[in-house]
Amino acid sequence: MKYHGVTLHRKLENNIGLLIFGILFISSIGGLVQVLPSIFQESLKTATENSHLYSAVELTGRDVYIREGCHVCHSQQIRPLLAEVERYGPYSRADEFVYDRPFMWGSKRTGPDLHRIGGKYSDDWHRVHLIDPRSVINNSIMPAYPWLAEWEATDLGDIQKKMSVLRILGHPYTDEEIAAAPEEIAGLSQLDALIIYLQVLGTGLAEEYR
Amino acid sequence: MADMPNDFWSGWIILITLISFIGLVWLVVSVYTAAPPNDAEVDHTTWDDNLKEGMNQAPLWWFWMIFAMMVFSVFYLMLYPGMGSFKGAFQWSQGGQIEERYRVFNDEFTELRAEIAVMPLTEIQADAALMGSASDLFSQNCSACHGYQGQGQANLFPNLNDDIWQWGGSPENIELTLRNGRIGVMASWEALLGQEGVTNVANYVLLLGSPEAEGHPGQARFNQICIACHGIEGTGNPLLGAPDLTDDDWLYGNDLDTLRETLRGGRNGQMPAFGDKLDNAQIRLLVAWLTR
Ligand code: HEC
Ligand code: HEC
Ligand code: HEC
Repeated sequence: MKYHGVTLHRKLENNIGLLIFGILFISSIGGLVQVLPSIFQESLKTATENSHLYSAVELTGRDVYIREGCHVCHSQQIRPLLAEVERYGPYSRADEFVYDRPFMWGSKRTGPDLHRIGGKYSDDWHRVHLIDPRSVINNSIMPAYPWLAEWEATDLGDIQKKMSVLRILGHPYTDEEIAAAPEEIAGLSQLDALIIYLQVLGTGLAEEYR
Repeated sequence: MADMPNDFWSGWIILITLISFIGLVWLVVSVYTAAPPNDAEVDHTTWDDNLKEGMNQAPLWWFWMIFAMMVFSVFYLMLYPGMGSFKGAFQWSQGGQIEERYRVFNDEFTELRAEIAVMPLTEIQADAALMGSASDLFSQNCSACHGYQGQGQANLFPNLNDDIWQWGGSPENIELTLRNGRIGVMASWEALLGQEGVTNVANYVLLLGSPEAEGHPGQARFNQICIACHGIEGTGNPLLGAPDLTDDDWLYGNDLDTLRETLRGGRNGQMPAFGDKLDNAQIRLLVAWLTR
């Protein structure tokens, strides 16, 4: 009898196609168990009273957030742990992210979590903090973003196109909202839009969950 | 997962978990129980003249380690959620865990917090540990705006260490400030004063309290508009949050350009409300800290 461990090993080692298939098969098991069923889980994709549909301005601010890579240092996901709830506020719920495409959960906290930043500070504070973080937090390591105050919100691409695409994905924008969008963002700087986005973050959560 | 889409997916998860588990057991057991390899029968690839793959079995401690981990996973899957919608013998859930933590937390601190909420301020101020907590609370909630020691900063956020209080410095007033927040409301005066008027009144504000102020071209307009809030002498009104304009303490600044900016654009300093975020004991501690 051949030592079967050896023959199987030999086969895999000598047939690169089989090896690739084996690796893909084994590593897909986790996804088949964890990810696939949640794609069919209604509660993760059904809008509720907790879901906030971003306005044209908020959507623009969100694009600034993505472009500047704020999600690289900031998470938007408060875990159900006592210390986090005490620090940041009520823990995040799945239905709060129904209209986040792509979501900004992040995976690393160089700075604090921002999911409930809305209403924590004034617009004035965000303005000085984003233009120069060291002017309010004297030892902050967050980068300064002075150019945002000069760049126009309208430079961020066709807002109507963006909203129509999101509508295909299920965001219920009305024709009127899409038609009014360019006017809403006209005249705003990218900093204004970003602050309006930050101020709405986490504020959609219904009273009963607070 | 609390709400499995349906029984199919629950079964799907259980099935794949079991098959993978059984597959793993088979793999490990068969590797260790198969006949030892006959080195001669295996055609080894040889590298660099004489470098050859050996045919030894993995050490036995490794087998026992994997075996122990398999036993562990069996117990784990019986006690904790993992098998589809089966909740496990412990009925553990993230939501349940945080509720339990909060129960312990509240049991430990509710009484103490109720005590602090009605403690005389002087008693808190005499207790170094309580003042330490108060100082921590300030760092966590307030220092981003008011500066790390409450010294004020950025010409937007007032100094809280001095004796000058825009909204009143009594413990009651400070408590109101913390609970409800404050929004200073001063509209723009540009339309009413015109460019020249703005400069005149700004210059007049700079002279307030000195003898040269009398008869200054800005005086008439000031007396007409500004004294309604800032008082006849310009010394302010804590009910409206209108600051004293005769002292040396300025929130936004007192050079001519800044004053003109203040009058042109108006000012709306915003102190957020903390009534929902902090409990009575925390607010009491902060009031004690601010009036120390
Ligand atoms: C290099 C990492 C880094 C990047 C990139 C970064 N931040 Fe920060 N951020 C920090 C750190 C560190 C802090 C904490 C110190 C401070 O407040 O400045 C912070 C604090 C903040 C706060 C205050 C949070 C609180 O609860 O006090 C906000 C709001 C914020 N950042 C927004 C942003 C935005 C918007 C962007 C993108 C334009 C951004 N940050 C990019 C590191 C970063
Ligand atoms: C978003 C920034 C911000 C935060 C955070 C903040 N404040 Fe303020 N606070 C202000 C501003 C701005 C004012 C001035 C309001 C005005 O212009 O009338 C103010 C005013 C005050 C005043 C009144 C000062 C006076 O002269 O009457 C007190 C007292 C005060 N804050 C205490 C606190 C405490 C305690 C905390 C933390 C629990 C805190 N603040 C957090 C921005 C902030
Ligand atoms: C409706 C009441 C009201 C009237 C009228 C008013 N003010 Fe004010 N003023 C305020 C308030 C409230 C503030 C504080 C604003 C803040 O904290 O953001 C303020 C702030 C100021 C400041 C800033 C002080 C500092 O510390 O930087 C100046 C200067 C000032 N006022 C001058 C004037 C002048 C000059 C006039 C008349 C043209 C005037 N105000 C009329 C309510 C008023």
